[in-house]
Amino acid sequence: MFTAAAESFLKQAREIQEEELRRFASRVATVLQGPEPGPEAADCLQRLHLSVAASKYPRRLDGKFVDLLQAVLCSPKSPEQIQLLCAAILREMSPCNDLTLSCDEIRDTKLLSLVSSVLLAQGNKKAEVSAVGQRIVKVLERRLPEGQSARYLLPVLSNVIRLSPESLTEEQTNVISKKLADWLRYASTQQGVPQPSGGFFSTPRSRQPGPVTEVDGAIATDFFTVLSVGQYYTEDQWLNVQAFSMLRNWLLCYGAKGLKPPNSDDKMGMDRSVMSVVSTTSTAGRLLPPKDRLREKAFEYCQRLIEQSNRRPLKKDDGDLQKACLIEAVTIMDIICKQDSSYVYRSVSFLKILHSRISGDATYARALLPIAQFFLNHGKTAAVDSDAIYKHLFTDIPAQLFHNPSLAFEFVQFCKDNTQLFTETSSIFRQSFPNLFKFLAWNSPPLISEFVDLLPFLLDASTAIEIFHLLLDLPCLTAALDVQLRSTALPTSERACDPAVKPTTCLEAFRHPQYKSMFQYLLRTKSAPEEAPQRLIPLRQLLGSLSSSPRVVQCAETVPVLLELFFRVVAEFADARLINQLVVLLLQRSDQLYEIPAFKDDVYRVLSSQLVMLCKLRPALVVELSTEILEFSGTVGNIQNKEAIFSHLVWAVGEYLSVSYDKRCTVEQISRFFETLEAMLFEITQLRPLASTPSYAPRAISVLMATLTKLAARSQDLIPRVSMFLSKMRTFVQNPAVTSVYSEEDLEEILIRATELMNLLKMPSVAQFVFTPPVDVGSTRFQREVNETLPFALRIVTRLLEPAPSFMPG
Amino acid sequence: MALGVLPSPACPPAPRGSPYRWMQVASQCQLLQSSSGRPSAPQLPQLPDEPVLLQDAPGGLFQLPPGDPFPERVTVAWLSVVALAFALVCDPQENLSLAEITLRRLAPRLLASLRLLGPGADVLLRPETIDVLLDRFLPHGQMLFLNELFLQAVDREMGIKASR
Repeated sequence: MFTAAAESFLKQAREIQEEELRRFASRVATVLQGPEPGPEAADCLQRLHLSVAASKYPRRLDGKFVDLLQAVLCSPKSPEQIQLLCAAILREMSPCNDLTLSCDEIRDTKLLSLVSSVLLAQGNKKAEVSAVGQRIVKVLERRLPEGQSARYLLPVLSNVIRLSPESLTEEQTNVISKKLADWLRYASTQQGVPQPSGGFFSTPRSRQPGPVTEVDGAIATDFFTVLSVGQYYTEDQWLNVQAFSMLRNWLLCYGAKGLKPPNSDDKMGMDRSVMSVVSTTSTAGRLLPPKDRLREKAFEYCQRLIEQSNRRPLKKDDGDLQKACLIEAVTIMDIICKQDSSYVYRSVSFLKILHSRISGDATYARALLPIAQFFLNHGKTAAVDSDAIYKHLFTDIPAQLFHNPSLAFEFVQFCKDNTQLFTETSSIFRQSFPNLFKFLAWNSPPLISEFVDLLPFLLDASTAIEIFHLLLDLPCLTAALDVQLRSTALPTSERACDPAVKPTTCLEAFRHPQYKSMFQYLLRTKSAPEEAPQRLIPLRQLLGSLSSSPRVVQCAETVPVLLELFFRVVAEFADARLINQLVVLLLQRSDQLYEIPAFKDDVYRVLSSQLVMLCKLRPALVVELSTEILEFSGTVGNIQNKEAIFSHLVWAVGEYLSVSYDKRCTVEQISRFFETLEAMLFEITQLRPLASTPSYAPRAISVLMATLTKLAARSQDLIPRVSMFLSKMRTFVQNPAVTSVYSEEDLEEILIRATELMNLLKMPSVAQFVFTPPVDVGSTRFQREVNETLPFALRIVTRLLEPAPSFMPG
Repeated sequence: MALGVLPSPACPPAPRGSPYRWMQVASQCQLLQSSSGRPSAPQLPQLPDEPVLLQDAPGGLFQLPPGDPFPERVTVAWLSVVALAFALVCDPQENLSLAEITLRRLAPRLLASLRLLGPGADVLLRPETIDVLLDRFLPHGQMLFLNELFLQAVDREMGIKASR
């Protein structure tokens, strides 16, 4: 956190009282009104600023004081530091009703920018944004006085149009468009001169500055751009940089609202664009309306930037700027083509060449996204086949560059911006979903919320099963990607692998024939629904050595969230077949999970509640999948290892194994389930005289008792068996071997439950009604109420039958 | 971790004193650090004026949904330098490569001008220093496409000595 000094300053500033602040403000006023505000004034203003800024609630300063601050801000005699501080304080207090600041009379452009920053922070209640916009345009329209620079004004303008595009009239936007076009296209190509430092010994240098160069040192070959380089810069070169920096924003705001000739004929469009190519430098360009002219110049600027990005820069960091410029240029071209489709033909061939130039270079990968977006937007207009571009983007890039977090983020944003691509089942986009998950597996924290948005678009009947497996194996994927990265980094000499020797590390296994195809399946780039994930069992075990790696653990934490979302979405479209498939797989996969204890617990928790959801959705599955369910619920190990799933499954059996939900539910079915579950309950409540008593989850015991009771209510021959069993529970809970391993509260609960159920069985017709209502009733409020009040009902019944007070819970 | 948040043009001011966005960057940074196996408490340089290497400084991008705490959806570019993190809040449509470049330029200059790694409280008491820097590199929230020599020209104007 902060240093101690900073902490204490902050605390003091926050705790300052209104009265004390007022006194301080008047002291500051005195100092400011003195002859020459100096360091003491600055110091006071700094403290005042902190007091105003640090508090959570707006601080109010006296109206007169606000006037003083405004006056000092606008006074030409105030030193710059004081002006900045006054502006900072006024901004901190915004919105401020006492503000009477206006930019109308200000001539100095630097001051105008500063004052604008205060006005634009007021929240536009008094149309400040428009006032600022008007003033800026007015100043820019005319020639600026000597010594004044327009540099300070363009950013203000950019902010104005972002906050309120309506601030400028069409005439004004035309004026600015014209200037922007000139600044973009006609900045000087000679370097600037250093400002003379003055002083007695300096001689004015009359040496001519040289031409600007490209980033690789070559003399500039064409007009000035942000990728042009010089020692000193001229005013118009500054304006060139700023004009380009705000160009995207400007075009988005005003580019589309031009008076375009109603000319949508393709051939005409082609002719116009051919004409434009020929007449780049001719005066014909000047006859275009300002918006069209700006578009033309902007387009040329972007083309030039794209060419300039091909040069190898002398300074390494210029390489980063080249890439950012490339992305911006392609994006602006895309916008221009949307606003005037005659540019599409010129752009398409140009961008295709660009794509082939950069597609093999990993450092340019982020630029592939706006290129792909361009072809998605305009490929049809140009009747161009861009499939190769999409294929490369979705097949190669995620596989090679999943570990680049910025690319990963932007790639997923691209997918979110174009979700319509994923609706077509056979499309390359949809088929590549295993590749997309690599981004999430490696960069889980920033991307989990993005994938929560994206997952519903990837899910449908044909992908659901594969995605289910993929989600459960996501942390495995992280581990495999780690192995892949490390393996690629090895020198070729160390990559040799002896097939006869069993691999001992993951790295060795990566190239070993026994594991190679498993890795390949896990790291596949395309959907492969026919493959069986069971083949990954040995690989999952091998990758267990990486299960505690932080990245794997982070990924594992995202899985429960995605699983819940998965089921929520699937529930909306799944048919009977898919639901049954999912239940079977759910039970199967519970044995085949990556060994991270916290991960497994979370997954079991989600799977068990989703299992219940699926049974509610389709109760008949309890009958249809009786084999699988009997097998799962008849395995004692499942009560220990997967108690959540076991308990919820058994509960579902109790709820839905009934002829009211499925006519095929026979007496034999019920008996079969009864016997299996009875045997389980017997197993876990057995009292072994000599051996130690294992403890099982009390919930499992309760749910087994309840389910057996429910089944007996439906097949009343079973009632005596259950009743006898339940009556033995008293002995169970009182046995010393049991009381030593279970808590007192749990045992009391078990006993109470057993007694309630027993009592209910003494009134079989009531039991039958409570536990097996007719189906149409089941979907009404009545049934829901019954389920919610069941424990209450049980207690009423118990009270009726056994009024002994010592037995009643609270 | 001390945090500085720089709003971009599109981003309206966040509600006063919202600590939530600070925590977002801190947690993203810690998660990234731990996942890459780096030590979570990097050593502070011995002298406050020692040049801080930015090449390996971790950083990243993430989104905040609308209403939380900004009215519109925003993308945050963040950079962590020693024990400090810087965050630049952008409109989702802005050039994120440029945002990352801008952060990498602002961070060392802020560190140096405000002596952020030293024992003082300049960051609290010198808002005008911050404003001067922001005015050059992020004027009114506008990101600028500045190449290296342009950058030097900007530094020269501000009287910052070139560190290379």
